[in-house]
Amino acid sequence: MPRGLRIYEKKRGHRRTGPSKLGAAGEAAFFAVLLAAGAGVLAGLLYGLVLPEWRANHEFVEHTCVVLDKRVAERENHDDRLYRPEIKIRYTVDGRSLTAWTYDVATTGNAANSYSAEREGAAAVLDRFTRGEQYRCWYDPTRPERVVLVRGYRWWVWTILALPMLFMLIGAAGLVCRLVRWHITAERRATIARRAAGRQLLQGNGRAAPDYPTVPEVSSITDSPGTKLRYRLPIGPSPGWALFGALLACVGWNGTVGVFLVKAVNGHLAGEPDWAMTCFLVPFVLAGVFLIAVLARRLLLTAGVGPTQVELSDHPLHPGSRYEVFISQSGRMPPDALELQLRCEEQATYREGTNTRTETREVYTQRLYCGNGRKGRRSIPFQARCELTMPAGAMHSFKSEHNSVTWRLVVQGRVAGWPDYRRDYPVIVCPADPTDGHE
Amino acid sequence: MSKPAVVIRLDQDRQVYPPGGALAGSFRLRGVRAREVKAVETSVLWYTEGKGEEDMAVHAFWRACAESGDWAAPNRANPFQTTLPQTPLSYDGAILKVRWCVRVRALLHGGREVVGQRGFQLGSLPALEPTPP
Repeated sequence: MPRGLRIYEKKRGHRRTGPSKLGAAGEAAFFAVLLAAGAGVLAGLLYGLVLPEWRANHEFVEHTCVVLDKRVAERENHDDRLYRPEIKIRYTVDGRSLTAWTYDVATTGNAANSYSAEREGAAAVLDRFTRGEQYRCWYDPTRPERVVLVRGYRWWVWTILALPMLFMLIGAAGLVCRLVRWHITAERRATIARRAAGRQLLQGNGRAAPDYPTVPEVSSITDSPGTKLRYRLPIGPSPGWALFGALLACVGWNGTVGVFLVKAVNGHLAGEPDWAMTCFLVPFVLAGVFLIAVLARRLLLTAGVGPTQVELSDHPLHPGSRYEVFISQSGRMPPDALELQLRCEEQATYREGTNTRTETREVYTQRLYCGNGRKGRRSIPFQARCELTMPAGAMHSFKSEHNSVTWRLVVQGRVAGWPDYRRDYPVIVCPADPTDGHE
Repeated sequence: MSKPAVVIRLDQDRQVYPPGGALAGSFRLRGVRAREVKAVETSVLWYTEGKGEEDMAVHAFWRACAESGDWAAPNRANPFQTTLPQTPLSYDGAILKVRWCVRVRALLHGGREVVGQRGFQLGSLPALEPTPP
């Protein structure tokens, strides 16, 4: 159907129900204003700050002058007092004797930035000039009354230029992006982006993409050989990182709360209790205690339960094929119960307002092993073998920008008197290949 | 003249196509005059539906411009053909669905456009029955 300009349309996250020409026009206008504002400010800065310095360095005529007087000029700025050096000189241009209070090009133009808060700096400049002595000066050939005693560039002028340039950059990039979107359809943009990314999934009109697009790489999983079976699976989120994260959160939170807590306790000890502050601190202290408990739990899990190794007879997995799994649990505390599962999860990321949310839904679970972990002596790791049969209707592993289908082997252990633990081992599932026997 | 529309026909007129197999067909524009058309874009693509933001990737793309003489006549059958990839397979999950389609977008003068799409299934995944605990 032909689509005209819609004024209003439904939207959730980045999803729209149709083309948003009005929205695109508004966004383009916003970025155009940003570009114009940046260009305007940049032009003003170039004209007011950079150009006078450049002219003084390149176009002013070198001459000589005699210093008649000198002073530290003062100026009020709100509650502050600002200073600058001023030197009165006399010089002759084309037989005409001229006098001027000057120092650098900013002083000559009476610019606000010629003043600074340091009186000592201004006085030190004056000390370099002696009344009655002759010095070099440079005057403007178009207006000889404009004269300077020093030339050069101020470094901070160039740093100020960065701000409007940043605005211009954002404005120009946004404008180009919107204009491209305006003229190029979503399908063509996707094609161009893919070609630019160099993924070579699309190599021209109608040519097929190689291998398994959207299936994650398997190399990270198959680069570690096993001791009993072909591959040793890498663990998903490392327990060490979880412990480090809990430690950081605990130290950061309790360190901050501790400062205020010490102040409150000191007040009580000194007989001047601040009850408002004490009551205010109570929920923060409780949260700190909770974080300590979380850290202690993580610490117990990491230190008490040793590493779990999971090995697989082949990888990637294919639907309908059978595999052998080897599981080994070492550590000072062998688990009372150990369970190994094959799980499949769908994950979807979406935006709600300004928040980005991720929802995970478990769509398949297969128990591969469930038994008592206390089979051997404490010095010998617990070991077991089991069989994994991939379901024939399994969706392959899938990963796109906002959605994914992930498969993993999950080890869950229970140790009496210790918190339960869980360790995940991601695996990749490729589509069934009728020409390949994976049994 | 009838309402502008895109009519897409797949050669084998099937719903399910095997991964790595050929997909061929043609399209016609109905209710559109040849001089109205600026360009026509044909894509074979997949996109996601469900809880998450929509992801989309184009597998095959053709663009025919009237200016460069690529575009002939709206009411004539305009063929397309591609070899389908191995993945992603069409999928009907709980919070995620992967759909495949042929989409034809005719860009008309004056900023108007006519879009039509024909869905198909890449592969055929049987329903996944979770093992009871």
